Amino acid sequence: MTEPSIEDKRITLEEAAQKIHDGAHIAWGGFGYQRPPEALAMELIRQKKRNLRIYTCGSEHDLDILVGAEACLEFEVAFFAIEALGLAPNLRRRTKEGKVQFEDYSNLAMALRFLGGALNVPFMPIRHMIGTNMMDKTRLRKDKAKVIDCPFTGTPIVLLPSVQADFGVICAQKADVEGNVQIFGIKGEDNEIARGSKTTIVFTEEIISNEVIRETPDLTTIPALFVDYIVEVPFGSWPMQSYGVYDYDLPHLQMYMGQCKTEEGWQEYLNDWILDVENHDGLLKKIGEKRLKELRADKRYGY
Amino acid sequence: MEEYTSTEMMAVCGANAVRDGERVFAGTGLPVLGAMLAKVTHAPNAIIIYEGGNVDTQNKDLALSVADSRLGYRAAASIGLIETLGFLMMGGRVDVGFLGAAQIDEYGNINTSYIGDFDSPKVRLPGSGGGNDIASSAGRIILMFTHDARKFVKKLDYLTSPGHLSGPGSREKLGLIGGGPALVVTDKCQMDFDPNTKKIRLKSVHPGVTVDWVNENVMFDLIIPGKVPTTPEPTKEYLDKLHQLDPQGIYLGKGQK
Repeated sequence: MTEPSIEDKRITLEEAAQKIHDGAHIAWGGFGYQRPPEALAMELIRQKKRNLRIYTCGSEHDLDILVGAEACLEFEVAFFAIEALGLAPNLRRRTKEGKVQFEDYSNLAMALRFLGGALNVPFMPIRHMIGTNMMDKTRLRKDKAKVIDCPFTGTPIVLLPSVQADFGVICAQKADVEGNVQIFGIKGEDNEIARGSKTTIVFTEEIISNEVIRETPDLTTIPALFVDYIVEVPFGSWPMQSYGVYDYDLPHLQMYMGQCKTEEGWQEYLNDWILDVENHDGLLKKIGEKRLKELRADKRYGY
Repeated sequence: MEEYTSTEMMAVCGANAVRDGERVFAGTGLPVLGAMLAKVTHAPNAIIIYEGGNVDTQNKDLALSVADSRLGYRAAASIGLIETLGFLMMGGRVDVGFLGAAQIDEYGNINTSYIGDFDSPKVRLPGSGGGNDIASSAGRIILMFTHDARKFVKKLDYLTSPGHLSGPGSREKLGLIGGGPALVVTDKCQMDFDPNTKKIRLKSVHPGVTVDWVNENVMFDLIIPGKVPTTPEPTKEYLDKLHQLDPQGIYLGKGQK
């Protein structure tokens, strides 16, 4: 009997960002404060990427730094703000400068567009968005959404174009080197993004062995079949949170909100926290062992 | 008589709008405090759902995000967005949804996207998020926001989420399954909707607020019934429980009680 070989799909954070070319369309995982690809956003900025277009339901600090650095100024999204803290400061300024372009959808609409991409069908129906300006106000797309009379019932229904982005990027708590992924806690729209993108890159807090994966296959939320690359990045969603691993860094977010109200403040943040730290390891050193330890989740609560 | 702030009053009004056993979709902020307060008082069997994926939550700490890990503690399920906004919401399985608004018009249509002209907006607001999904398919909608005349506009800068659109029958014609807005709670008053015209109507004014003040702080013709009651004051039980839910005053404000 021959043993099946285990493919090693690991690459570094730097290599992952290098694969994402200028002008790439990216389906962006994470939801709200939960598991956003922050380390990737910072590395894309360090590598001076331009003209990216991001598709996502809702993201926050991660998108705002990409807008501030002008790496990404085109969005097909449902939500863009820093929940509970206010409007995203860089977005606010870049909007005033006329630099940011939005195509607005609802959260369910974006998730269904990813599902349509995953199922390899050209469109998905939805009962929502109808009757609103999300149907008729467009910027980036000729065909944003259409209303038809359902061919079976005759009632109006909205059709949404499916998304198969160049890259799907999501963060998980655990994965093996082959790309079998375990996401704990809420999933947002990550399962659909992982299955619907042309190239899927998963950033994991921890690498576990294929043997351990096979002990509890019911915990695999994304099988390796869908995953092209695996990147091990501890604290890859900092300053946001990863359920069961670490909590968000609220003082940092509050500092960000205050400081980035002005362009000068943002430029200072950009240098201090992204460009001058050189890479993700440098960032973790800057945050410091002590603070990272404080942010680590209490296993009883998950945060 | 208990002392209370206008913020506490809003949260209690929100709570009172939730009935026992209902399935409630809550965002973050004051609305969620209202939903949680209902659950620890008159509506113990209310089921609170967050669009991020946490279902039937019993969190011990307040959440900042609809995806906050805090909501995962003792939830009945942590699932995905198509589950919550799709299977539950669009599936017609949610009784009541809470929403905020930057602008509403006289039919309760909602703007959370842009202030100013769409082509050169003054401010880009957060956008729909799950708001449009909730407004489209929840059994009824409770709107909560602080009272400001500029929010009650004759014409929205952008229609993000459907209220009663252009009046009776317009939601049904488009196949929207939800009942639309039923209640507006501000720090000054409560409003509901006239069943015949589907236009917004003054329901009650909070203690110390006059009907004239409300009328002057709305930029459309508000329906004002002959007799407008005063909103009942919150009880000590409700105020105490409210502060147990938000001991640090994250949403209630610091040092208010």
